Amino acid sequence: MKPLAGLRIADFTLHAAGPFCTHMLSQLGAECIKVESAARPDIFRKPHPVYGRMGPASFDQVASNKLSVRINLKDTKGAALAKKLVGASDLVCESFRPGVMERLGLGYATLAALKPALVMVSVSSSGQTGPDSHFAGYAPLFGAWGALGYLTGYEDGPPVEMRHVMDHSVGMTAAMAAVAAVYRLRRTGLGGHVDVSAREVACSLAGEALLLAAAGGDPVRIGNDHLRMAPHGVFRTRDEDRWLTIAVRSDREWEALAEAMEAPALLADPRFQTGSSRHEHRRALHVEVEKWTSTCDGAEAERALQDIGVAAHLSCNMQDIAADMHLRDRGIVVDVADADGRRRAALRAPIRFSRSEAGMERGTPRLGEDEDYVFGDLLGLSAEERQSLIDQRVIY
Amino acid sequence: MAEGALMPPLAGVSVVELSRGVAAAHAGRLFATLGAETTLVEPAGGHPLRREPPLLPPANEASALFAFLAAGKNSVVCDVETSAGRAGLSALLATADVFIHDLRSAERAALELDEQSFSDRYPNLIDVSVLPFGAYGPKADWQGEEINLIHASGEGFLLPNGLAAELFPDRPPLKVHGHFAEYQGGVVAALGALAALVSRDRTGAESVDVSVQDAALAVGAFALQRLGDGSLEHRSTRSFKYGGVLECADGYVELLTLEDRQWRGLVELMSRPDWALDPALSDQLERSRRGQAINNCIREWARQQKTADVVARAQVLGVPMAKYNSPAEVLAGEHERARHLFQEVGIPSAGRLPVLVAPFHVDGSPLALKAGPPRLGEHQHLTAALRRREPTVATAGAP
Repeated sequence: MKPLAGLRIADFTLHAAGPFCTHMLSQLGAECIKVESAARPDIFRKPHPVYGRMGPASFDQVASNKLSVRINLKDTKGAALAKKLVGASDLVCESFRPGVMERLGLGYATLAALKPALVMVSVSSSGQTGPDSHFAGYAPLFGAWGALGYLTGYEDGPPVEMRHVMDHSVGMTAAMAAVAAVYRLRRTGLGGHVDVSAREVACSLAGEALLLAAAGGDPVRIGNDHLRMAPHGVFRTRDEDRWLTIAVRSDREWEALAEAMEAPALLADPRFQTGSSRHEHRRALHVEVEKWTSTCDGAEAERALQDIGVAAHLSCNMQDIAADMHLRDRGIVVDVADADGRRRAALRAPIRFSRSEAGMERGTPRLGEDEDYVFGDLLGLSAEERQSLIDQRVIY
Repeated sequence: MAEGALMPPLAGVSVVELSRGVAAAHAGRLFATLGAETTLVEPAGGHPLRREPPLLPPANEASALFAFLAAGKNSVVCDVETSAGRAGLSALLATADVFIHDLRSAERAALELDEQSFSDRYPNLIDVSVLPFGAYGPKADWQGEEINLIHASGEGFLLPNGLAAELFPDRPPLKVHGHFAEYQGGVVAALGALAALVSRDRTGAESVDVSVQDAALAVGAFALQRLGDGSLEHRSTRSFKYGGVLECADGYVELLTLEDRQWRGLVELMSRPDWALDPALSDQLERSRRGQAINNCIREWARQQKTADVVARAQVLGVPMAKYNSPAEVLAGEHERARHLFQEVGIPSAGRLPVLVAPFHVDGSPLALKAGPPRLGEHQHLTAALRRREPTVATAGAP
């Protein structure tokens, strides 16, 4: 059984961050009912020329494992139907701009009055309150606002744009906070409102640097360097665009690495005697390390270094990931069938339980695929009532 | 406005953390901030992260990383190498709900904390393992630091993108600042632990195995989805056709226009230059095709702009744009202040400083840190019951 079995989510989230939250919760066992409409389908149902996709996606990770219903929320009867769905749910998730749910008559105060034992999760770019709460944004903007983008980059280069990992970090944090609120709900019957701010998630991923700045320090971009470890970086191997990451934490590991490099002279080099001296002379040190890695097969060097206790790993592309036996043994990378029937690699929720299960049972739903169950079985609408709502473009 | 002063979500939950790395420590921090009583078990010499840079000026004694990750936790010294120390840990675990750790399987066996003896001795305790590559699988015993893990998860290979990739096409790929992958591991560990806590009454307490690699990969899911669509992403091509990181006269901004109305707003923002009024550019696909030329014009324009001014005007015109804020700018931000993102706490050897609380509000209010990071052994009294029985337990290394 999955740990969140028995929990039902009315899911109004769109795009990436919010849907990732409910995608995680659904893989942990919550029944997630995704609400869209033909008037406002989610992004994966539309062409996305930026990514060269000229039609709907045949597989969308963050929509997977969800049920789909159509409700036109701009129609007052649609809002009423949505309320009925909320009444049958434990959790509401949404990622509209702050104020939109209120305008639709679905704000937290309204829904909590309707159903006190309700947890609502709102995901937005800057949070539900504060002078910038009306700002719209995308992942790269969250990273920019939240200092994470400023701090990422080569030391002599510009800041770096955060991409989908930023959206999904927001979704993962939202899922975690949602389950905390569900825990309270289950223990005490108290509902609650979780207000996740994407830019604050970016800040939280740089919490130590923000504290350093508060104390008068000046955190800056340092590329692949570490403040203590050396060697520490991403090194060329003998193959084009094949890189090996190495992090050396101690004298013992440094000695082991130098031995693997067959470079005993480096151990005698006064610049490389202590951790702090290696760090001070890391540019010269890294040149020496790369002389060696440049002759190596990356996978062989990775294995050889791990065998002697040195932290090393290839820089993986997605083909590496899809074929990785460790990730497949852990059940994290799995094969699924997409809407066109093709097998493809996808990701299961990144948690292994000793007793409970987790994971995807189904792929990306067709728009409105689960209305018989949701509108019929769950909400008790008759065939005539449903047809009437379809005719009025409420179910649309 | 507060929607009511309700108790924090995890009030009454008791957590014991035995960590060395950032991921497990971050999981413990999330529990503490959500209201759980979270006790950090440290060796006599202190948690290794207490010495990890960056250190807080001017004294340069306290670690900013440790202070951030340990805020609101209790500290108890237990040397688990000794039987007395293990008894101390055992006493803490006996009344806890969740045990978060980054022990390797051989270490678990030595501490009599392998999964079987664990569930026999602590039938109600949820056991959360957070390791670089997880507790199971061919790489379970592999070593991994942040730089290895961000690359083992695929995101490292894809960075930098956009301007930095254009400027330095021959440089090695780049990690995200700080401890990005390890922080993801912490969030996922907290999520797994909470899911197990929710189902404990039904399923019984269980073990949760979280890998930092898995967690960082999970948030990078889109790149694997793209592979399934037939595209192998690469940092040199993973950039928007125009926009992205723009250098202004006094800093950098991010610009991203995905929708037509946002493009039209951008044309207004640039004061309708002739090149942008070309009717062909009203077509999104045509703009993509001419991305490089468009971007050259946008970059030239941006260099004449002041960040604060251009961002304010962009907002009015509905153009998604943000300044690349420095940490100091975030700290001084009106929005962050209004939302109480930071709370001032006492940090030993560094004084009172604002520490980031949590990236979300609950019940209309910010959460609260119970305190700053603890002094080593500050909460040794928590093992007092045991100390009465075994006088040697809690003394070694305690201040």
